[in-house]
Amino acid sequence: MFFYIARRLLFLPLTLFGISLIIFFMFMRLSPEQRVALYITSPERLRGDNVERLIDLHGLRDPWHIQYGRWMGNVVRGNLGWSNVGKEPVYSAIMRRFPYTLELALYSALPIIWLGTWLGTLSALYHNRPLDHTLRISAVVGWSFPDFVFGFFVLMIFYSILGWFPPGTLGAEADAVVKSSQFRSFTGMVTIDSLLNGRLDVFIDTARRLAGPVLTLTYVGFAYILRIARSSMLEVLGREYIRTARSKGLEEKVVINKHARRNAMIPVATVSGQTIIALLGGTVIVETIFNRVGIGSFMATAAQQLDFASVIGGSLFFGVILVLGNLLVDVSYALIDPRVRLD
Amino acid sequence: MSVMDNYILQVHGLQVTFTDIERNEIHVVDGVSFSIKQGETLALVGESGCGKSVTSLALLRLLDGNGRIRGGNVLWQGRDILSLPLREVRSLRGREIAMVFQEPSSALNPVYTIGDQITESMLRHQKVSPAQAKKQAEEMLRLVGIPEPRKRLEEYPHALSGGMKQRAMIAMALSCRPRLLIADEPTTSLDVTIQAQILELIKELQKRFHMAILLITHDLGIVANMADRILIMYAGKVVEEGNKQDIFRRAAHPYTRGLLNSIPRMDQAKGTFASIPGTVPDPAHFPEGCRFHNRCGEFTETCLSEPGKIHLENEHFVLCHYPLGQKTLGCRAK
Repeated sequence: MFFYIARRLLFLPLTLFGISLIIFFMFMRLSPEQRVALYITSPERLRGDNVERLIDLHGLRDPWHIQYGRWMGNVVRGNLGWSNVGKEPVYSAIMRRFPYTLELALYSALPIIWLGTWLGTLSALYHNRPLDHTLRISAVVGWSFPDFVFGFFVLMIFYSILGWFPPGTLGAEADAVVKSSQFRSFTGMVTIDSLLNGRLDVFIDTARRLAGPVLTLTYVGFAYILRIARSSMLEVLGREYIRTARSKGLEEKVVINKHARRNAMIPVATVSGQTIIALLGGTVIVETIFNRVGIGSFMATAAQQLDFASVIGGSLFFGVILVLGNLLVDVSYALIDPRVRLD
Repeated sequence: MSVMDNYILQVHGLQVTFTDIERNEIHVVDGVSFSIKQGETLALVGESGCGKSVTSLALLRLLDGNGRIRGGNVLWQGRDILSLPLREVRSLRGREIAMVFQEPSSALNPVYTIGDQITESMLRHQKVSPAQAKKQAEEMLRLVGIPEPRKRLEEYPHALSGGMKQRAMIAMALSCRPRLLIADEPTTSLDVTIQAQILELIKELQKRFHMAILLITHDLGIVANMADRILIMYAGKVVEEGNKQDIFRRAAHPYTRGLLNSIPRMDQAKGTFASIPGTVPDPAHFPEGCRFHNRCGEFTETCLSEPGKIHLENEHFVLCHYPLGQKTLGCRAK
């Protein structure tokens, strides 16, 4: 187990190197004049022949490997260039927004995985009976619902009509509290920081605003896990070792929860990992609909405004998340299935 | 003690049906009856698809999916397993009647250790602590001839070879000292050399634990080696029953004869290889009357009617209008 993880970690830098190369070469497709945008902090600096001088200064006409080395050197030191959209360095723009996205992704991932697995198992156990049909229909509906449509429904019902879950990241008062000097930031995630600071009012405010997007992402997302969990459970229930377990006189509860569940979890772990990764990078639409601060909406704006520095920095960041996410999935495999630890 | 008292398991008129896609009921096992005496080995023989595995699963109500028991009874020490509450059936499973399956690689759960899977039934059925159970499991592994049993307990099934897995499976089945072991083609998936070892092991453990064995197989070589009595099944029915000598020396059913003739012999001329013409009929379309009539060399019109069970000698029964070699019955008038 230890060697398995160690070997995985050894491959990590290699994968990251590959990702950086791909991103770098895509960036190199742009002209030096476009690439100089990475270093331009204000339009003032574009006056006269300043552009040519900046290109020379940053060596944007040098051979590619020299440029790659220089760029990588900057990246390693956390210097990803200047973000025009954020009006701050790309690195801090991403780091300031990421906790909000992380918060949303985590609070959505938990119910998605838990509900998907639980209801999927239930569906398999009641195979072809009314409960199974009901769950499958609700899953198909959730699966086919575009998140922007469902998001608007949630806004309409829970905000316009009921007034429970307002949009936005934080209300004005809570925002002032968070930005004040007494409020200490531990994680950047407001739900956790507010509790650590003992500010229940801030917690309630941010939780109410999280509820709508979480509800949307959960309903649209759990359907996929449910379908995987159901079919995987059905397959496992027909396996011979399940019959063996029954032939030993084990209670049905033990047969299902011990012998079947763990085997059925193997494919579920894969899609759960994918779901979390997708949530971390792809909540653009939900963040936009609910008007939330987050890395998804930031990246979308950056791409629209040709903010190259932010797009490249963001791509690298997602690359790292993807690789780390897959590492976690691989480790979870090894935890569930001893056969994986061998190879 | 009368003869009847020796029977530990008595099956009467067992009926099992499966439902197909069009919701037709298909009789896969049709009125199977047999008994097993304490400590004996009863072989249930037949081609694949004749219903022998289904019969064995039905005994412990382990049929899954759409298999249904439609009739008959299975008496275990006077109690009908088929009408007991499931809770009581579960307490019989693994404790009094245990099973070993054909393919040890798929019959063992890949994500739990050998030790976990063996101790599981002991912890379920006996009042033992986990530590005691583990010690007993180690003992069982040693008994079935697995080297370094303590180390093996911690290993997962994939780390063991096919033969070792089947030994572990046997250790698991025998961990609660059952009185009847149902072995469903226990050596079919193994190499020939390993087959012989496993069969010897089963025989040895049978003596040691005084248990009866219901051996399900299609291999008459194994039957000759292991069985005391033999049931021949064809198309969901028992067509002949007798002790080993009756079947191997005086087989009366043309199907049994066919099976015996299809065993290849060393003295046989090259290239001749006897087989029964045709294939086992599809359970959805069993032939009328005698179910073997369309493959039988002795076929007459009489065979289109249902044959009755004929008592030939001692415990030798046959289900045929024209049992072979029974001149005294002399009804082969044409």
